[in-house]
Amino acid sequence: MPWERGTRSGSPGKGVLRAYGSIFMPWSMESSRKHGWRWLAFGLYHVGALVAIVNTFTLPFTPQLMTENVKLLFAILIAPSVLIGLIKLINRIVKPELRHISTFDDYFSLIALEVWLFFAVMVLLIDTPFWRAWYFIITAFFLFYVPFSKISHYIYFFFAHILTGWRYGYRGIIPQKSPQS
Amino acid sequence: MTAITDNISIVKGELKKRYNRLIGTSATNLCTHCGWCIDACHVYLATKDPSKSPVAKAEEVRKVLKREHDWLSKIFPFWTGAEDLTEDKLDDWLNAAFRDCTLCERCVINCPMGVETPQLLGMARGALSAIEKSPEILYDLADMAIEKENYLAENGAGFYKSISKLEPIVQEKLNDPTARIPLQEEADILYVPLSGAHTIVPAAIILNAAGASWTMSMFEASNYGLFLADTARAKKIAYRIIKEAKKLNVKEIVVTECGHAYGVLKWEAPKWFGDEFNIKVRSILEVYDDFLKKGLISIKHKLPEVVTYHDPCNMGRKGGIFEEPRNVIKASSEKYVDLIPSKVENYCCGAGAGMVAADEWRDQRILYGKVKADQIKESRATKVITACDNCLHQIKELNEEYNLDITTSNVSEHLAESII
Repeated sequence: MPWERGTRSGSPGKGVLRAYGSIFMPWSMESSRKHGWRWLAFGLYHVGALVAIVNTFTLPFTPQLMTENVKLLFAILIAPSVLIGLIKLINRIVKPELRHISTFDDYFSLIALEVWLFFAVMVLLIDTPFWRAWYFIITAFFLFYVPFSKISHYIYFFFAHILTGWRYGYRGIIPQKSPQS
Repeated sequence: MTAITDNISIVKGELKKRYNRLIGTSATNLCTHCGWCIDACHVYLATKDPSKSPVAKAEEVRKVLKREHDWLSKIFPFWTGAEDLTEDKLDDWLNAAFRDCTLCERCVINCPMGVETPQLLGMARGALSAIEKSPEILYDLADMAIEKENYLAENGAGFYKSISKLEPIVQEKLNDPTARIPLQEEADILYVPLSGAHTIVPAAIILNAAGASWTMSMFEASNYGLFLADTARAKKIAYRIIKEAKKLNVKEIVVTECGHAYGVLKWEAPKWFGDEFNIKVRSILEVYDDFLKKGLISIKHKLPEVVTYHDPCNMGRKGGIFEEPRNVIKASSEKYVDLIPSKVENYCCGAGAGMVAADEWRDQRILYGKVKADQIKESRATKVITACDNCLHQIKELNEEYNLDITTSNVSEHLAESII
């Protein structure tokens, strides 16, 4: 893919930053501006997933940090994503436009994450060998499955926003070049 | 059976040739099927058909690419929905990539992941074009443009004659017997119009009024090779103009009000030709804005209609031209209103990417334009101005089909009327 070579109208660097930042600025995209609850759910879901990932490291490797208060905080941050995951699954089944594009991987990834997030909450609240063992068994499964599944989107996300953001920035589209330039 | 095999193998070869970082990223699991793009698409909004959402259309191509490039899809295609390329699949691609997508990129700017759906569908267009499966009219128009260069020696005199008939109109409008439409003369600006007096006369009035050093191209700006995603054809069409610009030693090429032609010469041609193409390119809209700012033209009377501007996708969301036409229109109008949404979020008119030329899809085109028609109605504008001939044609038809009760024009016509 050849990079842009026409006379530059804007800033490619700003375009890349804006591409990364757009998800944190719900007013900047119509798809998040018009669907505020969906954006919030998206955010909470990913915060929950991120905390659950962090938890897989902190729980076994830095137990001294995992005080009862920290565990409770982690559980509070992860719990909404369990509910949101369920809503996402129902939407995928019920809404024709989502059902049309859904694959086994979509359903399986959602359900598997749902189970894992639920176990993350349980291991934080009731740390018995049962919950702990299954939480880490599912974690180990994800280490194998994620690179092959749609969950790997978080890796591609970083590359895609460089490519797209660069072009939009270079051409003075997003962010829009100043009227005077 | 042999023909089918040949088509599939040619298409596979094309896909391999066109597979790059941008395509590769969007063809992978970057798309999570979240559906955020769905109601960003004018085609989906007009039809509410789940198979016409951006993600569904992209999926038609992605399924095949995943089968080739994705590990899990290679082993368990049913798990990811991956599919082998078949002759039937090519029919689906024709509809998804040509009929049901105008490559407007509205889905891209609404995607939280940065999935480039138009790149995938553009790739499908290129692959279909390689087996002559794309709409015939697009080949005809592209090939006619290429042929024009070959026949220029014998047909050139006729073109001079046609232009000479337009010159008196310019002189009369400006009340200036010295006003000219120079053809193929050495000058600072090479103005590249479309075929049609409406892109020649008003521009000539303004360029003469500003006292610009300009000459007009023998070639029209439009480039149907781009719609076919046929880079070889598109390059040939663009190169005619580049050669002419070099021959005339111009300082810049100024492209008329044509969205895709601007995109080709401003953004694509520099990639295709590299250092060989080192001439500045501007849209005529930027030139007009410049004339007004420098005081080279002055508005004699503001036009009384309630005016709005439709951002052509290739000019705006794909080209970065937003404020220049607005500056010009606002300066020459009593009242201006923006469409909502507009600029980078503007809706496609429904006729982009060659759709306007394909008569067999007229019904769909008018249906896909419903979102634009509703937008225009809500704006309460009495005149819609746009800077792309395809958009202009579509809006004229939408006016009739949806009883919008508006008048239409391009920016040049509007500005020319206000300075004479």
